[in-house]
Amino acid sequence: MARRHAFSVFLASLGVLLAAASACAEAVSVAALRLSSSGPLFIAQDRGHFAAEGLEVTFRFFTAAQPVAVAVTTGDADFGVTGLTAGFYNLAGKGALRIVAAQSADVPGFHLSAYLATPRAWDAGLRSLADFPGRSVGITQTGSTFHYMIGLLARKEGFALARVRLVPLQSIPNMVSAFKGGQVDGLILPSSVALPMIEAGEGRLLGWVGDATPWQLGALFTSGRTVADRRPLVARFVRAYARGAAEYHAAFNQRDAAGRPVAGEGYAALMPILEKYTQQPAARLATGLPWVDPAGRLDVGDIRDQVAWWQAQKMVDPAVDAAAILDLGFVEGHRNVPR
Amino acid sequence: MSAPEARPVPFRGGGFVRRPRRLVSLSALFGLVLAWQAASWSGLANPLFLPAPAMVAAALWELARSGALAQHLLASLGRVAGGWLIGTGLGLAAGLAVGIFATARAAGMPLVSALFPIPKIAVLPLFILWFGIGEPSKVATIAAGVFFPTVIAAAGGVDAVPRSLVRMGQSFGLPAWAIVWRIVVPGALPSVLAGFRITVAIAVILVVAAEMIGADTGLGAFVLMAGNLMRTDQLLAGVVVLSLVGLSAAGLVSLAERLLLRWR
Amino acid sequence: MELLVEGVSHAYGALPVLEGIDLAVRPGEILSLIGPSGSGKSTLLGIMGGLLRPYAGRVSTRGRPPAGCLNPLTYVFQDFALLPWRSVAGNVSLALDHHRLPAGERRERVADALARMGLADFAAAFPRQLSGGMRQRVGIARALVVRPAVLLLDEPLSALDAQTRDLLTEEFLAIWQRERTTAVHVTHNLGEALRLADRIAVLSRRPGRVREILPVDVPREERSAAARAGRIAELHAHLWALLRDEARAADLELAEPARGGR
Repeated sequence: MARRHAFSVFLASLGVLLAAASACAEAVSVAALRLSSSGPLFIAQDRGHFAAEGLEVTFRFFTAAQPVAVAVTTGDADFGVTGLTAGFYNLAGKGALRIVAAQSADVPGFHLSAYLATPRAWDAGLRSLADFPGRSVGITQTGSTFHYMIGLLARKEGFALARVRLVPLQSIPNMVSAFKGGQVDGLILPSSVALPMIEAGEGRLLGWVGDATPWQLGALFTSGRTVADRRPLVARFVRAYARGAAEYHAAFNQRDAAGRPVAGEGYAALMPILEKYTQQPAARLATGLPWVDPAGRLDVGDIRDQVAWWQAQKMVDPAVDAAAILDLGFVEGHRNVPR
Repeated sequence: MSAPEARPVPFRGGGFVRRPRRLVSLSALFGLVLAWQAASWSGLANPLFLPAPAMVAAALWELARSGALAQHLLASLGRVAGGWLIGTGLGLAAGLAVGIFATARAAGMPLVSALFPIPKIAVLPLFILWFGIGEPSKVATIAAGVFFPTVIAAAGGVDAVPRSLVRMGQSFGLPAWAIVWRIVVPGALPSVLAGFRITVAIAVILVVAAEMIGADTGLGAFVLMAGNLMRTDQLLAGVVVLSLVGLSAAGLVSLAERLLLRWR
Repeated sequence: MELLVEGVSHAYGALPVLEGIDLAVRPGEILSLIGPSGSGKSTLLGIMGGLLRPYAGRVSTRGRPPAGCLNPLTYVFQDFALLPWRSVAGNVSLALDHHRLPAGERRERVADALARMGLADFAAAFPRQLSGGMRQRVGIARALVVRPAVLLLDEPLSALDAQTRDLLTEEFLAIWQRERTTAVHVTHNLGEALRLADRIAVLSRRPGRVREILPVDVPREERSAAARAGRIAELHAHLWALLRDEARAADLELAEPARGGR
């Protein structure tokens, strides 16, 4: 009886000790989407990289890119990871946001986003990426990544974007139903949605965005205030994130000699983490695992291009300075840095 | 016992009288704008979250100057007018039928009660499947939103026409069409016009919702785009224009009431 | 024109209100219908003008309506039944609007009816601007404009105060003297009936039956004269005796909780 009592006292004091230790860990909240492109984040969390930096990370999940940026702006989250939109740059340009590392990028050989044509538009001559002028394309919103990807295509194929009728439909399900109903001629869709439609004959594949127009799709960012006031914290966070990115890259971004995806080191161990956070089955995830730089390095020149393009579209305030929204001091060796 | 002292009866009336105080209304509005501007100047209001009135005014001016305002306004007004006219026309016909014919009431009223509370915004995707992504689905959304309150207002208006007036018409041998046109319709008019007051506001609300999908012009599309782009000054400029549209529509209804209901 | 009521019975649901009414309204006479509340006076008037369908019996007219008559059986209502959104002239012309008439005749008829009721200066006024007496004048003008063969007056004065009632009674009689339009007049006011009627039909309490038809054997112009006051008082007493017990019983009946419609 006495021994049992002593044991429970021991357990209780252990509990107090543990609580004290975790109280030392700094609480950090991160806004993100439940997408595999945020994989480095999930891996860093579940593999204990954040904890190793003394960070206690909690996630706040959203369903669109915009709220992620807003959450960081308002201070509801300390960090955000999501796609780069015109709205993001407008917020960032007002000093509210700083990009500190890369998220995913569209690169050749990685089939993230598909250009699709409806069978009817296909029959009517929408057979290649150069055939978009004079046709309608569904997007989620003006200023979204979908909007930008069409803009990139227009630039690459050398047609005026104004010759494509962009139809804002607010959500991907709306885009899919408008596409199936023949209300639009073409779409850009994530591979997880696009592939089943192609198999079912509901859409014709015209190509992949990564092959046609590689670009820096997303980024890890924080608020201007956090960068200024809590710089060491940002450095610790980015370090842990980059470790996650390296593991993600090693496991999911490997290709064989023929360019076919192969399972890399740690694939089997890390896939359940992605399954858990994205709430998607592995089979579905495997078809569209995005490319993520192993060190979280950004394509800096591309981000400057993005800002300039949006400004040319009069959708980003001309006063926004691309250099000022980037803080390149947390990751070594960013790519394509303009001199 | 001496005569008790006479005491004046204290005044207890007064108050609760409606008197127009135009100056008060104006200065309340003006004061609000001024306080808002002052908050921005003093740095109390973050311009990112709440742009100063001057910034909103500048955005509005830029919109007007570039011709974008006229383009968006015309697109929205066209949709509002089309949808409102269709919804009102059908609603009045259905409302009169429901008010006059027992069969139509038995069939129509439960349907109206069941369909009225459905948010038209929620069924917008359905309208897009039925009417396509262009103008018809937007006009249909507004028409549907306007239709049901109009039916209820018109049927209520018919109910409010004293039956003695209808009997009077019959006693003078008025044919059925004349009873409807000269007695029932004018008698229902006050209720119908009160309904208009609500339906013009509904039409303005729904045009914004309808323009969320598949529209690149229109005030709703503009406000939504400004929101997507985080251009809060433009967003508020659009909201100001929308509110002015609503005010003007309500003003038109008031004018109609003054002209048509002089007899009240 | 003559108006004949033969064997008319009526019921609201299971509640009989009229039973075996036989009446002949003679050409050019004023017949007053009196009876206690719930005796079916107004129902009978509705049946006589074709606004209600009796469940037994029939109503017919005999003789030709006068020249220019557009609506042989024409009502004057207790609540005036004016359209509030039409002016005085508009309310009067409502009775003509659906008839094919030359515009000149239409104007003339309206102007004439308004002039006869002393409404010429109020043609453009709306009903809400008028006193009760003026409103009923509009109601009467609207009835006159169609040159009726039979006037059906449904308690036309009961919504008015006593002085207005007297004034309007005199005016109505002055007009009636010239036209001699057949009229059926429903009232619960014995004095009014004795002032206007050639004959007074007394209805019993529910279900209404004709208890007695009483000729008023004093010429109209002498009815307010002091010399004939005795005879008028006699008639009044007789009518009151007929009505009193009925009225008391009807009163108790109305006080019962389970009461049907009138």
